[in-house]
Amino acid sequence: MQKKYHILLSFFLIFSLDAKSDYKYETIADDLNDAWSMVFIDENTILFTELTGNLKILNLLDKSITNIANTPKVHYASQGGLSEVILDPGFKSNNKIYLSYSAKNKNNKSTLFLSSAELKNDSLENQKVIFEAIAPRRTSVHMGAKIAFMQDGTLLLNSGDGFDHREKAQYLDNHFGKIIRINTDGTVPKDNPFVNTTGALPEIYSYGHRNMQGLIVTSSGDIYENEHGPKGGDEMNLIKPSLNYGWPAITYGIDYSGAVISPFTEKEGMEQPLLHWTPSIAPSDMIYYEDNLYPEFMGSFLVTALVSKDVKKVTFVNGKDKQESLFSDLNERLRNIEISPAGFVYLLTDGPGGKLIKVLPQE
Amino acid sequence: MKISKYPFSVLSASLFTVMLVTPITSISNLIWLSSVDMPVTFITSLEVILFDFQRLGFPLFVVFTIAFAIAFTVAGLLSRFTKYGGNNFYALAGATAIGVALILMVELLFQTQLLGGNRSFLGKIFHWIAGFFGGYFFYNLISKERTFTFAVRFFGIFYAYILLGLVLTWVFTPTAAAADFGFILSDLSDTAQNALLRDFTSFFVATFIFSILGVVTLNPAWFFSAGIVYYGAALFNLIAIYAHGTTYNQIYVGEIILGTLPTLLALTIIYKNKSI
Repeated sequence: MQKKYHILLSFFLIFSLDAKSDYKYETIADDLNDAWSMVFIDENTILFTELTGNLKILNLLDKSITNIANTPKVHYASQGGLSEVILDPGFKSNNKIYLSYSAKNKNNKSTLFLSSAELKNDSLENQKVIFEAIAPRRTSVHMGAKIAFMQDGTLLLNSGDGFDHREKAQYLDNHFGKIIRINTDGTVPKDNPFVNTTGALPEIYSYGHRNMQGLIVTSSGDIYENEHGPKGGDEMNLIKPSLNYGWPAITYGIDYSGAVISPFTEKEGMEQPLLHWTPSIAPSDMIYYEDNLYPEFMGSFLVTALVSKDVKKVTFVNGKDKQESLFSDLNERLRNIEISPAGFVYLLTDGPGGKLIKVLPQE
Repeated sequence: MKISKYPFSVLSASLFTVMLVTPITSISNLIWLSSVDMPVTFITSLEVILFDFQRLGFPLFVVFTIAFAIAFTVAGLLSRFTKYGGNNFYALAGATAIGVALILMVELLFQTQLLGGNRSFLGKIFHWIAGFFGGYFFYNLISKERTFTFAVRFFGIFYAYILLGLVLTWVFTPTAAAADFGFILSDLSDTAQNALLRDFTSFFVATFIFSILGVVTLNPAWFFSAGIVYYGAALFNLIAIYAHGTTYNQIYVGEIILGTLPTLLALTIIYKNKSI
């Protein structure tokens, strides 16, 4: 009798879960080892990183995974390792990719690096470090490490505040808590906002950031970024050159220890976030959906979250945000979100044993 | 009647040390904020120091209690079997306990410095000095016999310390405090906002003061007063749910706990004194 009851209960549970979900999912790959970032080479080929230092190609047709050789030596510890991979806009002709990662500098301190390389015959060739952050830290935490191309062909890179160095986010003589803008060869664009400022590092594009995660440039050229606050105060920002985003002088969060970081949430000369999440959701990646496959996403930001284990669909109406929680039935810490060339949404889950999940459009 | 003074002395020394330690983080933050031209005033400083004492202080109290328990036990054994001992010996044990605890918090747990005020060398020195005074305080507490009033006063102060967080939130950040109780302050009319702020603030400030007066005077009526207020809140919470059909609100459990502790203290005083 009891067994029958359990079977009946299980049936109803499964049925109710299925009925609650608006989307169906297809697990493309599992047992990924701290997968952190991915990019589509074409509709059936994904290049992805694992924080441990692996760069791999996943063939979506036969589900085979190929290791790429000659990847950079990374400092895999805590939140650091091989982080972001993106393709050069001219990848089809030049095979060029860009990788961000944490590694030890010459003083044996961990910092953020950005390298370019050519992907040929499952190996990286002609590797060149095009940026080394002046942000040395003892432990690989709060690295940032997201990369995005601006419409003028320059590269943006998130460089996090390093946790123990948060106050340095307010000073321009270092790369802690900054968004960096450089050319693809590592040189500094002449129109960077601080190139003529005495004492400022010329690569800095904006400052006063914390632990940045998502970084995107929309088709209209606008730059959006999200970042982890401490306890509360996760932010989404519209990034403009030279602006100060306030951390840690203004914040909506408090320290993990419970201490007040700052009693202030606003100040003239410091930017307000477009929105802040308090309590924290721990945003990870972000896209701006501009395709037709999921019409309900059109014109929305999709923000993956680690703590709330969902994707926040964010739209702005007259400057006020409207949010909706998606894919929470997966119950996974979501690390990365990408759109395939055909417009499908793919999700990477966080940590060891991670999965690559394809979200199927509603029928 | 004498009580087991050692556990209460460790707890009291921990709370005393927390009181010395938390302002180090608060003040180092405030100094930096001032250096970048943030409008730090006396009121904002007071807000930060008091909030840190309550919110940062609570986890530190747990850490320091463990550290002191080990350090003072070792110091006690050494003083019994060697020629070393006295207040300076315990003070050194206290400084060592805090120093080691803060190092281990970084090395074993977080790999980063969670305690803002402990990031600079000067900050570390101040933390050790706080531990030194904590040890000194401990020695003074154990160097003479204590009665039950010591325990009652300790728990009374601890009770007030818990209430302090609610008091501070309602005094300094009423919007956040109201949100914790399900109110969106800006959605209320001006009159409703006024009623909410004055009544809730008064509620928590009053019970906080009752408990402090109980600690100072050892008059059980003050502890009973605090207990009655929270038992009343729990009772009317349940009446609201079951008689008036409001949503179930499990906060009554917390209200019963907050009512029970001062009531027990009051009953203890009565039992010991055999009269009010």
